[in-house]
Amino acid sequence: MPDVACTLDHDGCVVCSDAGIPVRVISVEGDDALCEDATGNRARMAVELVAPVRVGEVLLTHGGVAIGRVAARDEEDI
Amino acid sequence: MKYVDEFRNAELARAVAAQIASVTDPDRHYKIMEVCGGHTHTIYRHGIKDLLPDQVELVHGPGCPVCVLPMGRVDEGIEIAERPEVIFTCFGDMMRVPGSKGNLLEVKAEGADIRMVYSPLDALRIARENPDREVVFYAIGFETTAPSTALTLQRAKKEGIENFSVFCNHVTIVPPVRALLDSPDLRLDAFIGPGHVSTVIGCRPYEFMSEDYGKPCVVAGFEPLDLLQSVLMLLRQLEEGRCEVENQYGRVVLWEGNLQAFKSMAEVFELRPYFEWRGLGFIAQSALKLSPAYADFDAEVRYSTPGVRVADPKACQCGEVLKGVLKPPECKVFGTSCTPEHPLGALMVSSEGACAAYYNFGRKSFEKVEIGSRK
Repeated sequence: MPDVACTLDHDGCVVCSDAGIPVRVISVEGDDALCEDATGNRARMAVELVAPVRVGEVLLTHGGVAIGRVAARDEEDI
Repeated sequence: MKYVDEFRNAELARAVAAQIASVTDPDRHYKIMEVCGGHTHTIYRHGIKDLLPDQVELVHGPGCPVCVLPMGRVDEGIEIAERPEVIFTCFGDMMRVPGSKGNLLEVKAEGADIRMVYSPLDALRIARENPDREVVFYAIGFETTAPSTALTLQRAKKEGIENFSVFCNHVTIVPPVRALLDSPDLRLDAFIGPGHVSTVIGCRPYEFMSEDYGKPCVVAGFEPLDLLQSVLMLLRQLEEGRCEVENQYGRVVLWEGNLQAFKSMAEVFELRPYFEWRGLGFIAQSALKLSPAYADFDAEVRYSTPGVRVADPKACQCGEVLKGVLKPPECKVFGTSCTPEHPLGALMVSSEGACAAYYNFGRKSFEKVEIGSRK
């Protein structure tokens, strides 16, 4: 597993590292979505700021909140 | 791993490094500032500096949120945390930032209820679970993080959660960069713009750098190849006489940013008239406070924080390092009385702080610095 702030289990400070973690949407539940990172970690993320989101989309998350989406052309795999 | 491996390909990195060398004018010195602490960390961790020609100097900017926080704000947070009715929540690195009388970790060891959280939404959850306690979230960060705090406060208001408040220390990236450009101490040629801040604010806010100051800017991602490509794009601009804002991190950053995040921030925050930055002094309209509509959630109002100003320790030269005037090992206390284990200044606290990054990953360079050359 890479030792960088790219997965949900890195132990750095999300703020200081300006972390942006790409995750794939597994399911959407209201303003939240269950998401999975590249190594299979799953967590619930707030998605209001990028709504509407679709299952399978890749979002960029920071501190439990999706702040952007990763370009569609790169969606085939994370 | 997608988004990681392809941006760490050693062969590609060598090819980009060769292109950088080919466009570098051997008779010119290039001073490029990476604004973001995350970039500083990548540069040291992956040895980017060693791939660049000697003529290309990378200068570390003010983009580490805990590093720019003045001591007075740390002290005020500690005072709130010491109140018996309070559960104080904050991000990880904030725990070790030194105030004038200690840090949050020491106050926690003395019995204060201080909890590290991953997200402001975790702090809100703690408030829901502890209706008989007051939960305060110590909000720090640039525009990458401010939307998370805004969204959390919108949820708190919608749910009518009254035992939750925010001590807001969010800052904005453009005013300090402008202050740096106005500083007579520093002569910079170009800027590597912060990638994830730009996910929110887009690229347009950096246009003043090229239009008003004649400095190129490339918004960059955080992998080694992202940074190398950004340096190459900047050098090409300089050599071709162009001066533009370019977006290297197009897989994530849209030119116009995230308008929904802007809308959320506009409802919850307003600009402070001025805010103190460690090393940079007071900068107008460089930080956020809660808007009147969210005053009930404002910890500064709830606990009447006095707004004290505390000077940094005299030996500490964080200010000069933050402005890029000194390199970390040129500070008088670097690696001696100021280390990651016992930080004297904030730049040694966060692993994204220039001094900690230099200490942890730049030792080879550090060893080259003669003790006698320290100022």
